[in-house]
Amino acid sequence: MVSRLSVSGLTKTFPGVMALDDVSITVEPGEIRALLGENGAGKSTLGKIIAGIHPQTAGSVVIDGVEVRLADERAAGELGIGIVHQEGSLVPQLSVAENIFAGRQPIGRFGQVLVTDMRAAAAKLIAQLGVAIDPARRVSDLSPAQAQIVEIAKALSRDLKVLILDEPTAALTLNETDKLFEVVRKLAADGVSVVYVSHRLAEIFALCHRVSVLKDGRLAGTRDVATTTTDELIRLMVGRDVHLHRDETVRVPGQVVLKASHVGAGAMVRDASVTVHAGEIVCLAGLIGSGRSELCETVFGARKRTAGTISIGGHDYRPGGTWDAKAAGIGMVPEDRKTSGLFLGMDLVNNIAATVLDKVSDGARFSESKAEALANSFVEEMRISTPSVRQVVGNLSGGNQQKVLLAKWLAMEPQLLIVDEPTRGVDVGARAEIYRLLRALAAKGVALLVVSSDLPEVLALADRIIVMAEGRTVGELPGATASEEDVLRLATKFTASVAAVRATAGVDA
Amino acid sequence: MTDTATELQRDAVPLRIIRRLANSRDLTLFILVLLLAGVMAAVYPNNFPTASNMRAVLLNLAPVGILVCGMMLLMIAGTFDLSCGSTLALAGVWAGVVASPNWLDLGPWAGLLAGLVVGGIAGLINGLIVTRIGINALIATLGTLTIYRGMTYVTAGTGVTPISDAFAVFGRVADPLLRVQSLFWVMLVIAVGGGWLIARTRFFRQYYFIGGNARAAQLSGIRVDRLILIGFVIMGVLAGLAGVLYAARLNSAVVNAGVGIELKVITATVLGGASLKGGEGTVFGGIMGVLFIALVENAMIINSVGVFWQGIVVGLVLLFAVSLDRFKTPGRG
Repeated sequence: MVSRLSVSGLTKTFPGVMALDDVSITVEPGEIRALLGENGAGKSTLGKIIAGIHPQTAGSVVIDGVEVRLADERAAGELGIGIVHQEGSLVPQLSVAENIFAGRQPIGRFGQVLVTDMRAAAAKLIAQLGVAIDPARRVSDLSPAQAQIVEIAKALSRDLKVLILDEPTAALTLNETDKLFEVVRKLAADGVSVVYVSHRLAEIFALCHRVSVLKDGRLAGTRDVATTTTDELIRLMVGRDVHLHRDETVRVPGQVVLKASHVGAGAMVRDASVTVHAGEIVCLAGLIGSGRSELCETVFGARKRTAGTISIGGHDYRPGGTWDAKAAGIGMVPEDRKTSGLFLGMDLVNNIAATVLDKVSDGARFSESKAEALANSFVEEMRISTPSVRQVVGNLSGGNQQKVLLAKWLAMEPQLLIVDEPTRGVDVGARAEIYRLLRALAAKGVALLVVSSDLPEVLALADRIIVMAEGRTVGELPGATASEEDVLRLATKFTASVAAVRATAGVDA
Repeated sequence: MTDTATELQRDAVPLRIIRRLANSRDLTLFILVLLLAGVMAAVYPNNFPTASNMRAVLLNLAPVGILVCGMMLLMIAGTFDLSCGSTLALAGVWAGVVASPNWLDLGPWAGLLAGLVVGGIAGLINGLIVTRIGINALIATLGTLTIYRGMTYVTAGTGVTPISDAFAVFGRVADPLLRVQSLFWVMLVIAVGGGWLIARTRFFRQYYFIGGNARAAQLSGIRVDRLILIGFVIMGVLAGLAGVLYAARLNSAVVNAGVGIELKVITATVLGGASLKGGEGTVFGGIMGVLFIALVENAMIINSVGVFWQGIVVGLVLLFAVSLDRFKTPGRG
């Protein structure tokens, strides 16, 4: 039998970087193949070459026994190769239907777009994914999860042979992830070969047949999912053992630092109460859209509080803006490091100095040497790998960017640090480093409030877990003994009403 | 490094020179200015390097130079002000109205103060529209551009001429050695002082953060809206100052002063290294941009190619300079 997709000797160099080095894999029809690797291992590049987005430097891509030379993504699409991008490829101002049929809208006799037909076809494709999104809505009005579903529907709209999914679940809730998996399994059953790029091990075990691990652009090995183990895959990825287990040292919480009682802020935060002590890690768990990030923004002064009280260190606290939070010793590492966290075009020195301008200045004068010294100390302490502190942050890998973002807030020595999704889009090695840092902070007496959608992460980090659902804090669990099931049970407490909210928001969960 | 193709570690020598120049627009412009001045001095030894020609060049560029300092600050923060030319005229006319014996006759100092206050208020209004109402700067200041010009006409009809000899001193006082009038020296002080402030102080460093990523700046505890408001007020006060001195030098507040100057100011600012996206630029670069445009204009006049060619040449140089950005090391400010 001829393999559906056969890649041999694939090599790709970007100026100064060898992104892929002599990689060969074959994927059979109906197979779901995981591509696993740390950030920068080359897995996305491999996917993009197969999808015709990047030309390869050497090697060949063979589909059904025929070597293909793809000019671009469109040519790949015509051959039945679809890709769902990590970054997203939707035009926010256009409707869902127009995005799905971008450039291929059904056209009438006078060249006019047949809007009704297009919307009907789009609705059908979305329905295949087991959800309902109005095809007439603008993409900018969708949640990240809904947008991701539209991305997948866009790839589905072709007569598919090979579907490449690049980190498709990053913004999805568990429910939606399950839906996606069902769709992927169905596609595979129909004979579509799926290349599933991810660094979430749990997903790979749940979904894939075989897994190819990339390390530094080389193929480190291919394993059958049925017979491999998490530890083996992690060893292949990083070349060493990494522990994401709980840290068994017992922390003794100190004084209450943050006490938020019955806080409300608009529609997203309705009634949330959280207490965090010095030297304690409290995780906020919950589904996407449960109001966790919004609660954090409210505490940080980036969102207006409409109800309830907040006190910091026993004093009533009413921030007029983020600067008041900073003055009160509160730091917040936001969820999306690229759009709201970092100054991607600026170097490490300036990024780290942004929160502590007074510290790196002599009087009114900004001191480049003090700022550089500060940056250097963090590069060393946090093991940020960068050629120099004058490197532009946009050129660093995801894990290193995340460390810079943390450094930016550690520099101001907060008494309460809010960390929203500490390890999103970060590879396993950097993840362990970030956990080490957060634990060290707690040991130093910093109060930590961590938002995470990654349940193993929550269970590994938290002293206490506070679960939110629909803008309300619905329960608290001890971190040491809680299980994923316990957290999920609380998080889906309002399942019925969640479904109602979704329906009004356009997604029928 | 799979997704972001990192740039070349080592380039061929000519490319390296291009990249070096692209990375430092100030330096490129400085070299161009020197070259242009050198060529002009060699080709037209009797017309170009004369004291009177130099004085004319410096005086003509001075109002643009003052405005560029404010515009550079705004563009570093990722915004800009199209109304600065109208503000200049409005402030000049109000200074005239307050100082002129035929109008309010409150004396020259009151006139100066009135001009600065009017400029500051005009800037404050721009800033409030942009930060509080949330209208983008292009539309907001396009609106106030016509409004402030209209208010200039409403205030003084055809202008205030003459103002008063005492008031004219502000614009006509010159240094004893080079005999260049105050407008230029004021510009020099503002450019040097402002350049130092913007490049070196922690207060103005915040504008680079705002231009680099406004949302991230906001979430870093920087008072984005307040700083942008202050930026617009600074721009307005500088336009007011330029307007007062301009009116004083002519001893006449003309209602069409500074028509079209905003585009010249933005051209010089972009030429000097600012980006419409914000986050980069230096006052030194902006002043080099002004100097360069002034020299090109002067060259056109001296070799009598004609005024008509000025725009074409300045436009071409602008496009060339900006296209150099393609060779920039990514992200370097």
